[in-house]
Formats: sequence, structure tokens, C-alpha cells
Amino acid sequence: MSRPQTYRLVWTVAVAALILIYPFLVAEIKVHLAVEVLVYVLFAISFNLLFGYSGILPFGHAALFGIGAYGTALILNHFPKIPLPLTLLLAISFSFIAAALIGFFCVRLKGAYSALLSLAFQMFIYAVALKWRSMTGGDDGIGVTLPDLHLPVLGIVSMKNIYNLYYLTLIIVAIGILACYVFLKTPLGNSVICIREKDMRAAFLGYDVFLTRLAVFSVSGLLAGLAGALFVLFQKFVATSCVGLDMSLTVALMTVIGGSGNFFGPVLGATFYVVFQSWVSSLTKHWWIFMGMLFIVIVLYLEGGLISLFKSEKIRLWVSRLGK
Amino acid sequence: MSILRVDNVFKDFSGIEVLSGITMEIFEGERHAIIGPNGAGKTTLFNIVTGLYKPSRGKIYFLDKDITGRSVHKIARLGLSRSFQIINVFPKMTVYENVRNAIVSKFHHRFNWITLLNQDKEIERESNRVINVFAMEDVRDALAFELSYGRQRHLELALAIARDPLLIMLDEPTAGLNSEETRDAVQLIKEVTGGKTLFMVEHDMDVVFNLADRITVLKDGMILAIGTPNEIRENEEVRKAYLGRR
Amino acid sequence: MSFPIEIYVTQAMHGLVYGMLLFLIASGLTLVLGMMGVLNLAHTSFYMLGAYFAYSITIYLGSFWLSLLISPLIVGTLSLLIERFLLRKTYKGGHTAQLLLTFGLLFIFGEFARIIWGTAPLTISAPQVLAGNIPFMGRTYPVYRLFILGFSSLVLLGMALMLARTRLGIIIRASVADAEMVEVLGNNVPRVFLLVFGGGGALAALAGVIAAPFLSVYLNMGIDALLDCFVVIVVGGFGSLFGALIASLMIGQLQSFGVMWIPQLALIFQFLFMAVVLIIRPTGFFGEKE
Repeated sequence: MSRPQTYRLVWTVAVAALILIYPFLVAEIKVHLAVEVLVYVLFAISFNLLFGYSGILPFGHAALFGIGAYGTALILNHFPKIPLPLTLLLAISFSFIAAALIGFFCVRLKGAYSALLSLAFQMFIYAVALKWRSMTGGDDGIGVTLPDLHLPVLGIVSMKNIYNLYYLTLIIVAIGILACYVFLKTPLGNSVICIREKDMRAAFLGYDVFLTRLAVFSVSGLLAGLAGALFVLFQKFVATSCVGLDMSLTVALMTVIGGSGNFFGPVLGATFYVVFQSWVSSLTKHWWIFMGMLFIVIVLYLEGGLISLFKSEKIRLWVSRLGK
Repeated sequence: MSILRVDNVFKDFSGIEVLSGITMEIFEGERHAIIGPNGAGKTTLFNIVTGLYKPSRGKIYFLDKDITGRSVHKIARLGLSRSFQIINVFPKMTVYENVRNAIVSKFHHRFNWITLLNQDKEIERESNRVINVFAMEDVRDALAFELSYGRQRHLELALAIARDPLLIMLDEPTAGLNSEETRDAVQLIKEVTGGKTLFMVEHDMDVVFNLADRITVLKDGMILAIGTPNEIRENEEVRKAYLGRR
Repeated sequence: MSFPIEIYVTQAMHGLVYGMLLFLIASGLTLVLGMMGVLNLAHTSFYMLGAYFAYSITIYLGSFWLSLLISPLIVGTLSLLIERFLLRKTYKGGHTAQLLLTFGLLFIFGEFARIIWGTAPLTISAPQVLAGNIPFMGRTYPVYRLFILGFSSLVLLGMALMLARTRLGIIIRASVADAEMVEVLGNNVPRVFLLVFGGGGALAALAGVIAAPFLSVYLNMGIDALLDCFVVIVVGGFGSLFGALIASLMIGQLQSFGVMWIPQLALIFQFLFMAVVLIIRPTGFFGEKE
């Protein structure tokens, strides 16, 4: 194996190991933080599947996140006998179907129109969540009690334990990210990308632009809904904030700051966002401003996002020189 | 056998009639060129045949099947393929990836989410074969936008024939090429379209008379004449309207 | 349940007032969009800032009338600076960069307002001469709302005259139709656009000032207006002032009667309406085909 390949392998193994033993290395509060990071990582990856890879800007992506969240909460509260895995499956089916419906209308439209329509759908769902107090608790939201997880080998796993939750979330998010990664390497993933590049050309080559976009929109919605479901497991609570404008803005911010041109950009962005928020918010209430300004700087001057800093030749050279 | 039949097609855009009563037929194995001054409606006709526009009146038949108003991708899948006057390749993809996009479509793998694209040997083989036909192995991994104009034209042509279509439609395939490049292009077109049916728009008369079996002359949205190159050369009206201005 | 006619008329008046206000806000947005294809998500932040500045100016300088003058000036200048130094950099990048940038500004302005003025809603009262009610169809109607109606109609008239009669107005209208052509003809389109952008911002701020005593001043007023504005420009067509006017008036009525008849669902209907329009005719009813 060549030098860079060895480096890469060592790096990956080290990072993976770190992630696995992380809860035992840090104080409990940091484990909570890590779970939050994982949830947003998945959400941002789902967003980037549309924004970075399909060329669709879904301003209302929180709609799918929120449907996953509310779906999970409502099932857990009204049908507590249903085993947790099935609950999650049901919740993501809801978000998948919702995404297919919303996508059916949005993917036909161009750029800003599509973004606006997606926002319209989201605000509609937000309004429903707000007004339907009996179901959703409106503004106040509803609390959720988590059932225990019954696993074949490990027996009963309590979800009240943050360490268990960490590993559960980690596994699910890892599967979600892997699924997304592999998806992009299939012929369908290639279709998505070449349609983003030149949709007319692709159509003349026989690609069904509408159906392909609808497919990726639905998959993205499914993953967003999964993130929403994990969010509920983590917060044990769901409210209209899950399906509101702030949530949509947040995921867009994370993805752009991290870098939408790279598969792992959103991972970096979400991590950076959550960590930065927890760090700076203890210093000042107005950490938003810094995030907003960073966002603008990146939009104007660093299109590739923060992750492009790691990839840039200049930085590589600099780091390797340090090594000597 | 009739490959393409255009039946009394009219097209108007916001009240301006761009095509009037176009009726023509293209037969299997034929090389058919359509010529005419700018604005005659040639590209519009192409766009109607390929499904980008719907005719205001009239019908299009492909292999005796009515394809009027069908969507672009469905018509493409029936075996109709086209190249563009303004280069329309996938700029940020490599030459290999460009061709592969066409091959994936040819093998109907567009919606395949089960296998990995890189592992598909058949698609790889076929993509490389097409690249070899166009002598582009040396730029196989170059990004499309980095190629010279002449080679981008080759790639444009490659995309049009990669799916082994029944009808190949080329829209000004030699646009922007110098005389040497044009000669090469004509030679290449002859090779890769050998035995297939070709329908092309061209301005360069040498190319037209060199390649075409039959020519349709279009002017102001109407057919002036249809015939063999010699017939067209002799045609008084055509000379007056078009060839005379050479 | 039947309502006496006065209630309908009163509701219609409310709708008219809000519709005109909405038009004032949306006009800048739609012109900017029509001219350069830029959808400025931060536009209603100018409206919000206009209201907040009006609050401060009224409190500290003691005069509401002064804020009518000063607030649009401040916000207009701010929007000029934003176009010149930030937005201009995104024209080459395509629409995504613009959407993202204005998005970020939306955020920042919201935070900025939160820092300076806090999270609690603020109220200012209308100046004495405009306070109170006057008799109207057997009931009374607030004078201030009539002021809003009158003032915005005046502004509308001024805008219409400017666009129809002045050279600048003609250039603006031509640029909405075909900016490239106008530039080729020798006009300084970037400068005109800068003015339109700044003017639109100032206009939105002006709307904020006159809305302040009417709606009170709160952090989300920008977002609320933004969503209404989106409906306006989608229904009225990107770039069409006339369309924006009709759409704003329609929405004003929809809101007013919707709130009266089915208070629970008024918000929902508005969005369904927008969604339906986007689905059927993405260019609205009056806009040009893209």
C-alpha cells in the first residue's frame, strides 16, 4: 500500500476507534453533546443529498425532519407496546411518503421556485402542528417516555441511559451515512449527479429527470425523518421548533459552512455548529451573529466550505512542513 | 422502411408561425440533411421531433409509431438520439464519465440502486470501446471542459451515437471547426454512422454534398424542396433563395 | 349567522389597509427580483429594522414624524451598502449564492435586533393628531388606519409617476424586461440596480415605520411579512408591480376575512394558495415567463 493510502487507513481507523470509545473518555455532559451532533450530522447529510448532489435547494427540509419527529413521538405515546425498531420504521415511512408527495410538486420547478414551494409546504405543516393542539401540543409540544429496547443478545437496554442512546444513535446514523454514500456510487446515484450537471442533456440520453429527482428527494426525506426520530429519542420531547423555519435555516447553515461539495462536509459542518454553539453560548447569548457572519464569509469567499481547507494544497504543504 | 415521418407539422410561438406544413420522411439507412438560411426553423424542427416542443398542429411518427407530444426521455429511449449545435456535454465530468452516462442509459441501468457503478464490467467495457472508436483514450480521464473545442465536438458526437440509436440527429456537427477539423469530422461521421440512419442540420455545403443521400431545403418555416444533392443543386428556387448567396 | 353589512365593510377596510402595507413592502422585493433575478430573503428584515428604528427615534427624539424621515434613510443606506459590498459579489455565482447570502443576512439582522432591542415586543403610539376614531358607516374607524391607507396610496402614486414619467423610471421598467439590453444601450445598470435595491429597502423600512403603531414591533415581524411577501410575488409574478398590487390587496382581503370566518385555518389557506399557484403557474398571474 502506498504512503498516502496507509496514512488514510490509519487515520480512519484512529477516528473510528475514537468515536467508539468516546463516551468513556469524556464527562457525561459531553456524551449528550455527541448525540446531538450525530442527529444533526444525519440531518445535514440528508440535506446535502439534495443541495450538493441533486442541485435542489429545499428550504423547507425541516418539514421532513419534523414529520419523523412527530411521528415517532405520537407512536411512542399512543402505542407504547410497539417495539422501538418498528416505531422508527413507521416514522421514517411517514417522512418518506411525505417527501414523495412534496417532491412530486417541488422537483418540477426550478431553483428559487422549488425552494419557495418547499418552504410553503413546511410552513403549512408548521401551521398544522401549531393549531392541532390536541395532537401535537401546539407551541408547547409533547413529552415522550422512551420504552426500553429489547435486543436478542444484549437483553433489555434502557433508553434512559445516555450511553446506550449514544451507541444506538451512532449505529443508526452510521448506517444512514453509509447508505447515502453507497447510494451515490450506484448507477442511480450517478443519474442524480449527471442530471444535476445538465438535466437537458441527460433527458436526451434517456434519463427521466422528474422520476430520478423524485426518488432522491424521497430518500433524502427518509433520512431527514430518521434524524428527526433520533432527535426525539434524544430530547424526549417534540415541539413546533422541529418543523419550523429555524430548523430549516440551521441545517442549511451547517451544510454550507461544512462544505456542500464534499460528502463529509455536512459532517464537519454539523459538528462545528453544535460544538461552537455549546462553547460560545456559554460566553455570550449572541453566538448566532458569529455563525451568521462565518456563513456569509463562506458563501462569498470559501465556496467549498470549511472542509475545503483540509483539502487545499496549501494547507497540506504547510502541515507536512510542520511534520519535518 | 420508414424511420421518421413528419406529417404536416406547424409550430407557432406566441403568434409567430415558425414552421408551416412540414411534411417529410426519412428512410432506413438514409443520410438526410436539412439546410436553409438562419431562422428557417431547422433547430425548431429538431426540437419538435425529439420532444422538446409540441407541434401546434401535425404529427410525428417514429418507426410508424406516433410520438407526437411524448416526453424527451421516452422518445430518446425509443432509439432516437441527438447532438447539439452548442456543445452540451457534462463539463465537470471526465470523458469516460460522460460516455458512461450514455452507456448506463443504453443498458437501462439508470434506476439501478443495487449494484455499484464502478464494479460493472460490461458498462466499463462498452464505455471504453466507444472512447476508442473516437480515439479519445488519451483524454479518457480529462474533464470535458478542459478539452479543445474540436475534441469536445467529438465527445458531443460520441454522446449522440454511444447508445447505438436507430436515428441519429446531428445539429450542425461541424459548427466552429476549421476546414481540416471539418474534413476529419466528416470522415468520423461517415465511419460511426455507417449503416445507420442519419438526420442532420448543416450549413457547410461541402459537408452536405459529401455526406447526404437526400436533402431537404427549408426557408421561412416551409419546405422549399426535397431531393438528391444533384436535384437540389439544379433546383432554380433553391439557388435563388439559398445557394446563390454562397 | 348573518353579519350586518357594516362588519363586511369594516373587514374589507382592514384588508385594504393591510394589503396596501403589504404592497409597500413587497414592491421593492419584486422589482429587485424582476430586474436582476435576485430573491432577497433579507428584504423584510429592512421592514423590521425600519420599525425598530422608528421605535428608538420616537422614544429618544420624541417625534414619530421624524422617524418617517430618518428610519428609511438609515435602512436605505444599509441596503445600499449591502448591495454594493456583499450582494454584488454573488452575481457571478448564480442564484444559490444569492439565496444563501440573503439568508445569512436574515439571520444576522434578527440577532442584531435581538441584541439591541431585546425579545419583548415594543409598542409605540401614533401621534396625537392621528389617534382616535372617526365615525364611519354608523360605527367608528381608527384614524391611524386611514392614515396608513392614505399615506401608502400617496407613496404608490409617487412610485407610479416616477416609473412612468421620469427617465430613471423608464430605465427601471426596461431593466425588468431585459437588463442586458438596457446595459448594452449604454445605461449604467449596476448603478440603477443599486438605487432600486436601496430604494426598495427604504420603502420597506417606511412600511415598517407606519406599521409600528399599528402592529407593534416584534422580532418575528420580518418573517411574518416575508411569508406574506412570498405569496404576493408568486401570485403577482416576479417583477410585476401591478401584479404585486393586485396580489397584496387580494391577500389583505383573504387575511381579513379568513381571520373573521375561520380563524384557525387562515394561515393554512394562505400557504395552500401559494402552493397551488406555484404548482399551476410558477410565474404567477402577471409575471413574464422566465
